[in-house]
Amino acid sequence: MALAGLSALFLSLPILVLVARAIFDGSLARALTAQVVLSALALSLATTAISLVITVAFGLPLAYVLARRRFRGAGLVEAIVDLPLVLPPAVAGLALLLLLGRRGFLGGPLDAIGIEIPFTTLAVILAQTFVSAPFFIRSARTGIASVELDLEAAARVDGASDIEVFRHITVPLAGSALAAGLVMSWARSLGEFGATIMFAGNIEGRTQTLPLVVYGEFQGGDLDGSIAAAAILVLAAFGVLVAVRLLHWGRALDIRSLG
Amino acid sequence: MKSRMAASLAAIVLVLAACSSSATPMPTTAPATATPTSMATATAASATTAPVNLTIYGAASLKAALAKAQTAYSAANPGATLTISTDSSTALETKIEQGAPVDVFLSADTANPQKLVDKGLAAGSVTKFAGNLLTVIVPTANPAGIKTPADIAKSGVKVIAAGDTVPITKYANQLVANLAKQPGYPADFVSEYTANIVSKQDNVAAVVAQIELGEGDAGIVYVTDAKTSTKVATIAVPAAANVPATYSGVVVKASANPAAAQAFLAWFAGPDGQAILASFGFLPAP
Repeated sequence: MALAGLSALFLSLPILVLVARAIFDGSLARALTAQVVLSALALSLATTAISLVITVAFGLPLAYVLARRRFRGAGLVEAIVDLPLVLPPAVAGLALLLLLGRRGFLGGPLDAIGIEIPFTTLAVILAQTFVSAPFFIRSARTGIASVELDLEAAARVDGASDIEVFRHITVPLAGSALAAGLVMSWARSLGEFGATIMFAGNIEGRTQTLPLVVYGEFQGGDLDGSIAAAAILVLAAFGVLVAVRLLHWGRALDIRSLG
Repeated sequence: MKSRMAASLAAIVLVLAACSSSATPMPTTAPATATPTSMATATAASATTAPVNLTIYGAASLKAALAKAQTAYSAANPGATLTISTDSSTALETKIEQGAPVDVFLSADTANPQKLVDKGLAAGSVTKFAGNLLTVIVPTANPAGIKTPADIAKSGVKVIAAGDTVPITKYANQLVANLAKQPGYPADFVSEYTANIVSKQDNVAAVVAQIELGEGDAGIVYVTDAKTSTKVATIAVPAAANVPATYSGVVVKASANPAAAQAFLAWFAGPDGQAILASFGFLPAP
């Protein structure tokens, strides 16, 4: 019990101190009106939302295939999907540069036809998607695999097509795992820093997300600005988590429901 | 059920770990080879026989020179080992203010060491040890066809700059302002240059790296950076417009080896250190 309490304290205390400090020394109020912070917050929220849509659109089919189909090399595919999870973000950023940069493997040909990706908002979205999609895919794969095949078979016996089975049986039953995956994926892309600064750059309004502001203010000696931006990031993330709970997806955050 | 619980707990730990590993990256460090033992030397003379470990924070543009200095100093002072970390001088100054255990701070300007002095965090006064000049670099292939510094403000040119608080940015902005007054430069040179900036890197070494990768068309860096890199070409800047950079250093007050730290700073500013700096293209301190 004591260990559990200590663990909860360890996880919550630094955040509480950060937010309290920002509120009580007035820097939070100042930061909320600072153009740099507001545009970074808007950019962070917009890019993470788009990254999430891309993650689901491409991640859900992949998760389904990994959960339901047995094919040679499935283990290898799973390991590759998990790779961004363990890669240091700077490595991810460098890899994206080498693939999609101006002289990159794919980026070179794209640049030749006029499509430039590095240092654009698209690059921010790609960096976020790359590092956060594995969280969703893992969770979705586990959730889909946990749906009993008998239930799907029963639905097919009643005349449901594959798509209908997926929509009305698989997804609802895997719902809490899917929602948990969405939340973790979004949280990871909100906090994404290393790959962004390497691949996307750091220009206000275009590629400077809120974590980059936190880092930049600190590097520049503006500790108060850094703390305030960090506090806003925490509050924004907290706000979304609370909203998710209130929308009755709270079950997704309950560990027991994943079991 | 238990294994799924464990898997989801592991996943949450992974999220937290991933987010934390996306936090402040460490400045590049070149650790010395010997094992560190900290024993304060009694003498301020340059030759020390007791084992001494000094931590040096240096400007990013000093990386190659400091690596050479590390070998030379350890050879001249058996038992002395230097641990060197380089990054933007402003970022390093912030870390020293926050209590990083550092003995000597070598900056690409005089403002950052002076900040430490003003805050009572320095021992002794600021010592100038080198000078530098600026140049424009482009990738060797020169994709944007830059021929003169005026070309960097042309529409569509991708300029890589450093962050607003990195010393090179202050010098570069001064250079751009100087160039704008030169004959042959357009009236909106400054604003066009600023509009061409596509990325603001952490320090000048990262600017060089991006140009080497070909991600940018041009960047303003120190002459010494251009000299050290083999993958960039330089576009010379008119001497009348160039901005002299002054490098200075200071011993950190909280140093565990103030005497040894002063000895190193004196050595670096003295003839031995100057010879090493000159070999990389640094100028004598103005």
